[in-house]
Amino acid sequence: MSETNNMSDILLEVKGLRKVYDKHVVLDNINTTVHKGEVIAIIGPSGCGKSTFLRSLNMLEIPTAGQVLFHGTDITDKSVNINEIREKIGMVFQHFNLFPNMTIRDNICLAPVKLKLMSREDAVKKADELLARVGLKDKADTYPAMLSGGQKQRVAIARAMAMNPEIMLFDEPTSALDPEMVGEVLTIIKELADSGMTMLIVTHEMGFAKEVASRCMFFSDGMITEENEPKAFFENPQSPRLKEFLSKVL
Amino acid sequence: MQTKRQKNIYGFFRIFAVLFCVCTCMLLSSCQKKLAENKVFGVDDLSGSVIGVQLGTTGDILVSDYEEDGSDTTIERFNKGNDAIQALKQGKIDAVIIDAQPANAFIQANPELMILEEEFVKEDYAISIAKGNTELTASINKALSSLKADGTIDSIINNYIGENAGKSPYTSPSGVNRSNGNLIMATNAYFKPYEYYENGKIVGIDVDIATAIADYLGMNLKIEDMEFDSIITAVSSGKADIGVAGMTVTADRLKNIDFSDPYTTSSQVIVVRNNEAVQSGSNFVEKFTNDFITDNRYQYILTGLKNTLIIAFFAAIMGIVIGFLVAVIRSSHDKTGNMKILNAICSVYLTIIRGTPAMVQLLIIYYIIFGSMNVNKILVAVLSFGINSGAYVAEIFRSGIMSIDNGQFEAARSLGLTYNQTMISVILPQAFKNVLPALANEFIVLLKETSISGYIGLTDLTRGGDIIRSITYDAMLPLIGVALIYLILVMILSTLVKKLERRLRSNERN
Repeated sequence: MSETNNMSDILLEVKGLRKVYDKHVVLDNINTTVHKGEVIAIIGPSGCGKSTFLRSLNMLEIPTAGQVLFHGTDITDKSVNINEIREKIGMVFQHFNLFPNMTIRDNICLAPVKLKLMSREDAVKKADELLARVGLKDKADTYPAMLSGGQKQRVAIARAMAMNPEIMLFDEPTSALDPEMVGEVLTIIKELADSGMTMLIVTHEMGFAKEVASRCMFFSDGMITEENEPKAFFENPQSPRLKEFLSKVL
Repeated sequence: MQTKRQKNIYGFFRIFAVLFCVCTCMLLSSCQKKLAENKVFGVDDLSGSVIGVQLGTTGDILVSDYEEDGSDTTIERFNKGNDAIQALKQGKIDAVIIDAQPANAFIQANPELMILEEEFVKEDYAISIAKGNTELTASINKALSSLKADGTIDSIINNYIGENAGKSPYTSPSGVNRSNGNLIMATNAYFKPYEYYENGKIVGIDVDIATAIADYLGMNLKIEDMEFDSIITAVSSGKADIGVAGMTVTADRLKNIDFSDPYTTSSQVIVVRNNEAVQSGSNFVEKFTNDFITDNRYQYILTGLKNTLIIAFFAAIMGIVIGFLVAVIRSSHDKTGNMKILNAICSVYLTIIRGTPAMVQLLIIYYIIFGSMNVNKILVAVLSFGINSGAYVAEIFRSGIMSIDNGQFEAARSLGLTYNQTMISVILPQAFKNVLPALANEFIVLLKETSISGYIGLTDLTRGGDIIRSITYDAMLPLIGVALIYLILVMILSTLVKKLERRLRSNERN
């Protein structure tokens, strides 16, 4: 990975990002910059391109046009080793996507060991530490099928954390959970934010966004329609689209 | 979920069902059946009746004329002479036209049959040699005339036919120098007394004459048993040097092959049911002893079983390897669009293999691809069935890979794993578990499909039973025995797979 000489704290820069499926424009000219330590909540109605945007940041979606710069390196460039970049960008999915054929511990150790970033012993140690941190130390030897949704998502967060990422992407982390389990997952994410982790969170939990985010982004029709610090974002929305949206969800 | 008690009942029921089948067969095999009435008493009665022949023999060629004369004559062509004889006994056909000596052997074992006095036709037997191999033809003619002159051929024939049978067995002279290499003889060992199985070996007049020729020429005789209609192909393609199988010189055959001078004369006779004969039914124990115990005939089954297991086992392994590679290439292509050329090759492979019968593939591999090479038949069968099974396994694996949620793929890739690492560590282990039942089914099919190995003259389990059938003329017990062994093998296989499945699933259950 090439370090730029620019020693500013810019982690991620998105320039003119565009994504088109067949003739349907999902993302249209997205520009934004993510600084180290920022917690960005991405809010908007369904189908507005929030998830596609998030997934473009680690190339799970290949953009039709535009650039995504990670530490100044354009990761949309085919000559860039995307696997090395992804090691630094953690991702948590709506449906957890734990590996059902492995124990919880192996779910967490798989990538660090396979990618030779840690020895098996160190990875196990790290996994046990992370499991303790998300309150699931006693589940290390069980399989995903034996966990509740909330527990699964906490494991998924631990799995992403095991790679020591510089930034974490959360794609609607609580949308597939029963209501009583939302809290335990949000608590973990909040702890992570408090520890200084840079994060982008696609969420429908407005209260959580308001409390945890340092910046809120409103997506509609494939564009960032409004962007502000949370207090102003929720209490003094400018665009009619955001006003209408907030009046429905709050 | 089944309770333990229910499982026991199912297990018991299955064993009971198998035992029930066995008992029914025992009863059937010992009950007597009335013979259908004979209506053929001479050559003139042949037109309009149903005639059985052995495929590709002189009898077949000659009666084929009846088929086109508008007399409603039906010709049934059997792979083996004794299949025709059995059909005759069961009343499925009216007469069998076959060479005189085998006919004699047949009616000795089947007193309810008889040979009509009127001969169908007289013919000379000769040895077939590849066209253009004039050197070998000349040496064999020289050997034949020398063996005729010193009485060796007469003595060999008298050892098998007539009152002094068994009194003058041919023995190779001592100290024969076999430095002139191998003489490979193609034959069809279901033609007593010319060639047949006895105590696990192929013996008979033709075998002894070929041995005497090999002795004379200083060569080492090797015998390849195959279907009669494959002999000419084998000789002309170079798989065998000579064909010795009671073959008559005919115009059609001369188009593809050369013949030596004739070594004996035989006639084609008509075998029919004897209306006066009283059918003697033997009981189950006698039949069983005759089929399996006498002359250690169970050895044919054991050899066949061994070969069937070897073929099925290695073909399954080969099928897994090929299927795995093809599935990975195809699904990678589907996911990433890479490997266009490999994917195209795989598509062609799947289309051809799944679009043609396994038996045709086996014959093509043996007679065309390995045509002129002398290659181990078990190896050919393993290759053929492995390549065949690979195509089906590939599609099974591919459906398994496609059945895994894309989220699994994305989660692994988002952690930085490469495509290959993701496939190996995350997707394939789950896919394998999902396809295990389909895979087991494919291997059950494969195991049973190996029963066509007999078509390249390989003694597999089915062929082992056939050899016994050709010796004892009892269809029931060898066939039922073979069927039972297949059934037991399949039951063992499914039990093992079920155990494996349960073990793999255990970690996903609550």
